[in-house]
Amino acid sequence: MSGGTLRARGGAFLAPLIAVAFLFAATAVHAQKPIVVGASISETGPLAVDAAYHLKGIQLGVADANAHGGWLGRKLALKYYDDQSNPGTAVRLYTRLITEDKVDLLVGPYSSGISQAVAPLVNKYERPTPMPGASLPAIFSASNKWAFQLLPPATGYLDGILPLMKSQGAHKVAILQAQLSFTLACGQARLDQAKALGMDVVYSTTYAMPPPDFSSIALAIKSANPDGVVVCSYYPDAVGLAQALHRIGYAPKFFAETIGPAEDQFISALGPITNRIISNTSWWPALKTHDNAGFIARYKAMFHEDPDYHVAATYSAMEVLGAAVKATKSLDPAKLRDWIATHDVPTVEGTFKAGPTGLSIGFAQYMFQIQNGKRLLVWPVKDEQAKAQVPYTGQ
Amino acid sequence: MIVLQLVVNGVLLGGTYILLAQGLNLVFGVMGIVNLAHGSIITFVGVFTYWVVTQTNLNPLLLLPLVFVVALVVGGVLQRLLLEPLAKLGNRRELLSLMVTFGLSYVIVEMAINLFGSQYVSLPNLQETWTVAGLAVNEALVVAGVLGAVISGCLHVWLHYTASGKALLATSQNATGAVTCGIDVRRMRGISFAIGSALAAIAGVLLILILPLSAPTADTLTILAFVIVALGGLGDYKGAVFAGLLLGLVQSGVGYYLGGDVEVIVPYLLLIGFMVLRPQGLGQAAR
Repeated sequence: MSGGTLRARGGAFLAPLIAVAFLFAATAVHAQKPIVVGASISETGPLAVDAAYHLKGIQLGVADANAHGGWLGRKLALKYYDDQSNPGTAVRLYTRLITEDKVDLLVGPYSSGISQAVAPLVNKYERPTPMPGASLPAIFSASNKWAFQLLPPATGYLDGILPLMKSQGAHKVAILQAQLSFTLACGQARLDQAKALGMDVVYSTTYAMPPPDFSSIALAIKSANPDGVVVCSYYPDAVGLAQALHRIGYAPKFFAETIGPAEDQFISALGPITNRIISNTSWWPALKTHDNAGFIARYKAMFHEDPDYHVAATYSAMEVLGAAVKATKSLDPAKLRDWIATHDVPTVEGTFKAGPTGLSIGFAQYMFQIQNGKRLLVWPVKDEQAKAQVPYTGQ
Repeated sequence: MIVLQLVVNGVLLGGTYILLAQGLNLVFGVMGIVNLAHGSIITFVGVFTYWVVTQTNLNPLLLLPLVFVVALVVGGVLQRLLLEPLAKLGNRRELLSLMVTFGLSYVIVEMAINLFGSQYVSLPNLQETWTVAGLAVNEALVVAGVLGAVISGCLHVWLHYTASGKALLATSQNATGAVTCGIDVRRMRGISFAIGSALAAIAGVLLILILPLSAPTADTLTILAFVIVALGGLGDYKGAVFAGLLLGLVQSGVGYYLGGDVEVIVPYLLLIGFMVLRPQGLGQAAR
C-alpha cells in the first residue's frame, strides 16, 4: 500500500516535471521551427519573365532576414508553387498554403489579374497579405481589409508620356492594351488622360494574351500615323509589337511600353530597335530610398544580375511584413493587419503607406528610356538622369 | 497600297503557318494519329536554338541541318519505342496514341523548362526590313515563308516522284492496300513520324526568329497547327498549304480592320465554319 502511496506521490511529483520538460521541449522545437512565408509564382505561362523577378525579391527578403537572425528569433522559410500564370490555379494554391500548409505569412502573386483572384481569399481567411504584383486599384475596394498594395496604382503607369509628348508638340497618339486587368486599367487611364489633355487618339485597340501576330496591328498603327504609340503591355507583347513595327519599317516619334522594357532580356531579344523606347518603373537604382544601395549589392551578389522594380516591390513586401512582425512581436493576423494599415514603412521602393482600403498612396512613378543599351531615368524632371531623346528611330 | 501590304503580310504569315503544320499533317496522314507532342518539339527546339545562339553567337540558320538530323533520329526512335507497339491494338490505337503523345508533350516541355527555363525568349537575328516597291518585307518572315514553300515543294516531289514517297502516300491513302502491294507499312509509319518531328524542329528554329516563344506555349502551337491541318483536310499536305495561306490572309485583314481581339479567334471561327459547311477541308477543293 505504501508502495502504492509512494508511486502515487512519485507520480504527483513527476507529473509537473514531465509537463515542464514537454513544455521546454515544445518551446525549443517551436523556437527552431521557421516562419514560413507562402506565395504562388507564375513560373510558367505568359507572365513567367516578369514573375521570375517577383520570386527573386521574396527570396532575397527571406535571405536577408535570415542573415540577421530571422524574425522573433526564428528563421524564415519560403514555400511557393507555380500558378502557371493562371488565376484559378493561384486561388487553389493560396487555399492550399493557408489551409493545408498552414504557412505563417503570405505574399501576393504576380500580376493584377491573379492578385484580383486571390484577394477575396485572403479576406475570407483574414490573412494580411502585401500584394507586390497588384497595380490594379479595383482590387483594393471598400470591402478589402486584408490585402495591401505594394506598387503604385496601374492608372499611373506611363502617366508622364502624354505630357512629355504634348510638351514637344506631339498631339496624335495610338493606345494599345492587352486584355488583362492591369493593362486594361492602364490603357483606360491613358485614354482618359489623352482626352483631358486634348490629345487626339488616332488608333486604339485591345489584344488577347498570349499575344497574336502583331503585323496587322502594326500596319493599322502606321496607317493612323500617330506621333506616339503607348502600349500597356507585359513582356511577350512588348517584344512582339516592337518587332512588328520594325518589320513594317514604321517608327513613331515616341514609343512607350509598360513592363517589358524593364527586363534585361528585352534589349538582348530585340537589339538596337529598343533604342529610345520609353517605359515606366516604380523603383530606380539611383533613388535615395531606404537601404537602396545595400539592396542592389545584395541582389547582385545573390543573383548575378541587376534588380528591376518587380524585385524592389516584392522585397519591399518582405520589408513591410518584417516591420509589422517585429513591431507587434507577433504573427497574429489581426495585429499584423492593424499595424500595416496604420504605419508608414520605409522600403527600397519608397515609403509604403496604405490608404483606407489598402491602396498604395506612398509610392511614386518614374519613366526611363533605353539610350544606347542603357536605361536612364527621364521623368519626372527632378529625378532625371538624362533628357528624353526623340524621335524613336526603330534602329 | 495598304491592301497590298496586308496581302504580303498575310502570305508571309501563311508561310509560317505552313511550316508549323506540315509535320503534324504528315504524321496524321500516314499514321492516323494527332501528335500532341508536335508543339512541344517546336518550342523545345526554339528555346534550344535561343540557348545555343546566345551562348555561341552562331547564325541560327546554321542549326537547321543539325536539328533536322537529330529530330529525324529521335523521332524515329520514339515512334519505334512508344507508338509502334500500339499499332497492333486495332481501334484502341488512336486513343492510346493520343495519350502517349499527350504524355510525351509534357515530358518534352518539362525537359525544356528544366534545361532552358520557362521564360519567353526571342532572337534579334534576321530582323532586316526591306522596302520593295513601297512594301515592307521582313527578312525573318521571308526566310520562314520561303522555307515553308520549299518544304512543301520537297514534300510534293518526294511523295509523287520517288518510290519511298509513293509508298508513304499509298500508306496514307489505304494502309491495307499498301500491305497487299508489298509496302512495309511499319517502316512507313516510322519514316513519317521521323520526318514529322524533323519538320517540327525546323519550324522551331525559324519561329524563334519570328515570335517570342516559351516552352509552356507548346499547346498553343499544337492547337494552331491542328486547326490548319483540319482546315486543309486532315492529312492533305496541299490542303494545309492553302489553309495556312488562307488563315494568314484572313488574320492579316481581320487584325487590321477589327483589331487583335478578333484576330486571335479567326482560326477557330474558320474551323467551325469549315466543319459545318465543308468538313472535307480545303484540300478537296484544291484538287
